[in-house]
Amino acid sequence: MSKKSEPSIFFSDANERQGSFLRRTLLFGGGTALGVTVLSARLGQIQVVQAAEYSTLATENQFNYRLVPPPRGRVLDRNGVVLAGNRPSFRVLVVRDEIDDLDQTLDYVGKILPDTLERRRAIIRDVNAAPRFSPVPVKSDLTWEEFSKVNLHATELPGVMADMNEARYYPHGGAFAHVVGYVAKVSAEDVDAMKDRGEDVPQVVFNPSYRIGRMGVEKALDAQLRGEAGGNRVEVDARGRVVAEDQAGSRPAVPGKDVVLTLDADIQKRALEVFGEESGACVVMDVRNGDILCMSSAPAFDPNLFVSGVPSSIYRAWADYERRPLLDKATTGTYAPGSTFKPVVGMAAMLRGANPDRVINCSGGYYLGRRFACHATHGAQTMRDAIKNSCNVYFMTLAVEMGPDPIAETARKFGFEQEFDIGIGGQSEGLVPDRAWRRRNPVGGDPNWYPGENPSFGIGQGAVSVNALQLAVYTARLANGRQNVLPRLIHSVGGVEQPRQAFQPLPFPEDRIQVLRDGMNAVTEAGGTAFRNSQLGLGAVRMAGKTGTAQVRNYGAGSRKGAGQPWAMKDHNLFIAYAPIDKPRYAMAVIIQHGGLGGGTAAAPRAREVMRVTLLKDAELRERIERNGFVETEDPGAHDVPESLAPAAAPPTAAPAATPTGPRPYLSEPRG
Amino acid sequence: MTASALTRPGQRDRLSEKITEIDWRLVILLAVVGGTGAMMLYSVGGGWSPWAADHVIRFSVMTVVMLGLALIDLKWWFRAAYPLYGLFLLLVLMTEFTPLGYTAGGARNWLNLGFIRLQPAEFIKFGLVLALARWYHAHSAQDARLSWKLLIPAAMVGVPFLLVAKQPDLGSAMLIALTGAAIMFLAGLSWRIIAVGVGAAVAIIPPFVMFVMHDYQRNRVLTFLNPEADPAGTGYNIIQSKIALGSGGLLGRGFGLGSQSQLEFLPERHTDFIFSALSEEFGFVGSFTILLCYAAIVLISLRIASLSYSHFGRLAAAGIASTFALFILINGAMVMGLAPVVGVPMPLLSYGGSSMMTLMIGFGLIMAVRVHRYSELPKGQALF
Repeated sequence: MSKKSEPSIFFSDANERQGSFLRRTLLFGGGTALGVTVLSARLGQIQVVQAAEYSTLATENQFNYRLVPPPRGRVLDRNGVVLAGNRPSFRVLVVRDEIDDLDQTLDYVGKILPDTLERRRAIIRDVNAAPRFSPVPVKSDLTWEEFSKVNLHATELPGVMADMNEARYYPHGGAFAHVVGYVAKVSAEDVDAMKDRGEDVPQVVFNPSYRIGRMGVEKALDAQLRGEAGGNRVEVDARGRVVAEDQAGSRPAVPGKDVVLTLDADIQKRALEVFGEESGACVVMDVRNGDILCMSSAPAFDPNLFVSGVPSSIYRAWADYERRPLLDKATTGTYAPGSTFKPVVGMAAMLRGANPDRVINCSGGYYLGRRFACHATHGAQTMRDAIKNSCNVYFMTLAVEMGPDPIAETARKFGFEQEFDIGIGGQSEGLVPDRAWRRRNPVGGDPNWYPGENPSFGIGQGAVSVNALQLAVYTARLANGRQNVLPRLIHSVGGVEQPRQAFQPLPFPEDRIQVLRDGMNAVTEAGGTAFRNSQLGLGAVRMAGKTGTAQVRNYGAGSRKGAGQPWAMKDHNLFIAYAPIDKPRYAMAVIIQHGGLGGGTAAAPRAREVMRVTLLKDAELRERIERNGFVETEDPGAHDVPESLAPAAAPPTAAPAATPTGPRPYLSEPRG
Repeated sequence: MTASALTRPGQRDRLSEKITEIDWRLVILLAVVGGTGAMMLYSVGGGWSPWAADHVIRFSVMTVVMLGLALIDLKWWFRAAYPLYGLFLLLVLMTEFTPLGYTAGGARNWLNLGFIRLQPAEFIKFGLVLALARWYHAHSAQDARLSWKLLIPAAMVGVPFLLVAKQPDLGSAMLIALTGAAIMFLAGLSWRIIAVGVGAAVAIIPPFVMFVMHDYQRNRVLTFLNPEADPAGTGYNIIQSKIALGSGGLLGRGFGLGSQSQLEFLPERHTDFIFSALSEEFGFVGSFTILLCYAAIVLISLRIASLSYSHFGRLAAAGIASTFALFILINGAMVMGLAPVVGVPMPLLSYGGSSMMTLMIGFGLIMAVRVHRYSELPKGQALF
């Protein structure tokens, strides 16, 4: 078709150009139509064939579930007093994905809330660990002023917001710190522990504002208190900001269940009050049904501080303080029972046929290879006298005659060396030594129990160690007289009453128990070891008890049992008691660590105060007391509560308790 | 009275006669698309601001301009072809080499003239169509088919292509090249050259993608091949666009109710991805209807081109129509995941003044070609 050499004729060339153009235009038009057809087919594929699939994806884009943390269940005392509740807390939160520059934002927040600067590193760590678009609290418990300031600046601070949520609150401070426990931020160990227990780890646990129970009831019943997180179905935009809430698609949070304890807040608060600066534990039980009315440990710590994180300086101070506020001395700490153990020895002897009226002469000491001192020369003693006077010689004699095994057997029947199912953990078993134990734990390779160890065991010294709860249970069983009382702490969970454990009959004859009770009744009578310090002042309603002193170290001959010694060198001071004497209802055990002097001096007056509140809280008893009138005791000074409670002013004239001397010195520091 | 080849020249020049010759079908179709654009901009912008009002004003003004241009005799278009091409090329150069040019969205493709801000890359396409049409008008079929003279139109395409590609505005550069190629094709380029050109393009694209392209451009292309590889990053646009299309279904989610576009999951929902927003809210029915409108506009324009007595008129109208068609096909393929994401807007639907202005001026030219279809421009004779 080459026409290059020829001169082109205008019309033919024009026709050729036009023809070519028309053909190509037709082709191009066809191509365009084809292209549009392909696009339409593709549209049909996406919009009609795959529509459902893409709709799902769009919905996933559009809606998010925001976790709504459930309100944690409350912990109440037997009368409905809140021991652990929730209070509103104003918080500042940041959302990482809405922030361009975290450093800059925190600088700005720091200008409004200067104290966030100190915790900056922890905040950045929290923020980086949080899931996308999940708000991270930067500071809780804002004052109203701070809260309004943050709100005012919120518009200049994208990604920063202030809101209100619920924070755990312990209205009684430290009074229930050990038994109710506390909540704290969830750590990786907590999550691992849940997995180890085979539990499902709920998503809410990873919410930065979630708190997990770390001790006592809060820990043991965490799953019940926790509740179930709800889901807030929210519409979000591409940047994850919430545009709207979808009420219909949301699931409300299920609040945690309330837990009612058998504790009585008034009694427990009184216990903490009378302990003052002293270190120790106090357990009060109802001898009829085992309800624990008081289970306190002193000194306490403020569990509220754990909720938002304890400053490390405070935590260190708690951990380093020699009186160990973080330790639960009621169940975890174990101590030598001292003379409070003597009724066990007496019962063991009687079960073997010993006659309680048998007279043993106390000459001020017991000789078995060497002299084991008694704190006085008591002369001729029956078992009742020996309990009343806390005569060491009497029970040393019985112990040497029996050997350790019968004593240990009886002690276990009274509840020593066992954990009770009270619904919370942290109990230490303590130890009741016998020959089998010695074989398992030989001393210097020697698995034999030597008779020389018996005198100490007979007066609750040596290897034997118990916790305050066990002492209280033991006292409750003595006071009940018929049943193997078991302690109970959790009254109901979520309104459902927890089943009571059935009590077995006590494997001791009633008349034998009566012997011990007669002796303990006499302890608080004139001439008993705790007479002065155990007068309730409630007329005919009287308290029986038994003092005890647990030796911390071997004093030199003729020392004054720790008086004038540094605190940590003083003896532990114990007292068990029940009341009323005629028809026992309440039993209690008090341990004062390093109380010094005898069991009557530090523990008994505190036991008296707590018992008085306990008795007066009992409507029936109160009526009886009010009907009969408050009869003054012979010793008016006995009611001088503030003075006798001040540790420094402990009356030096108080009757001294047992002066035990063991074969080996030991320290009765709590185990574990 | 309808004009025909037999109508006397004097009568055809009458204004009233010209107005009746305007292709009102085209005007209505353009108005439908432009109006749909305004509606969608209203929807994704959440009201008249920030985009819908601008769009309506621009479209109205440009419609008037278009109708005005339709009445301008082809010989004026013919005379203005080279000067306009030169002017627009100058604007491109200014963008590139003077401080008046500035960068937005990764490419230096904006020119700030003080009173107006333009994207010269849009205008140069229009200038290119005019210049090529004029060049081919003056050359024989043989020259257009296969001759050394073809280096001149090739240069006319190549210079702006390289300048725009350097900005780097890949989408516009590609459109310039394809527009030029389309006109050369329509003008009767030899199939042999076409085959060689396509072969060369196929051979050159992989090394070009790997070694010459900027990182972000390469990412776009590679992402197109496998968008799911990086759903939060470079694949995000394509995935979100497909979700928008798919969730629209057959009948759509309703005006203002598309979650993808309303909640801003859809990127560039007012420009490159407005077709996705439309598809989401009006479903297959809506998007297919708009595609049909587009196809009708292209085919009517090509028909107008084929009816022109002058070669300049034919090529100018067909050139504009082909640019328009390329816009639609590339943007459509892009939002449907059939082509890499390159910055090509959907004509008249997308927000953007420069694009709208050139397109409407282009349709003014097409209408002028129709109104003046009987005018014969002298070949090879200088009109200056």
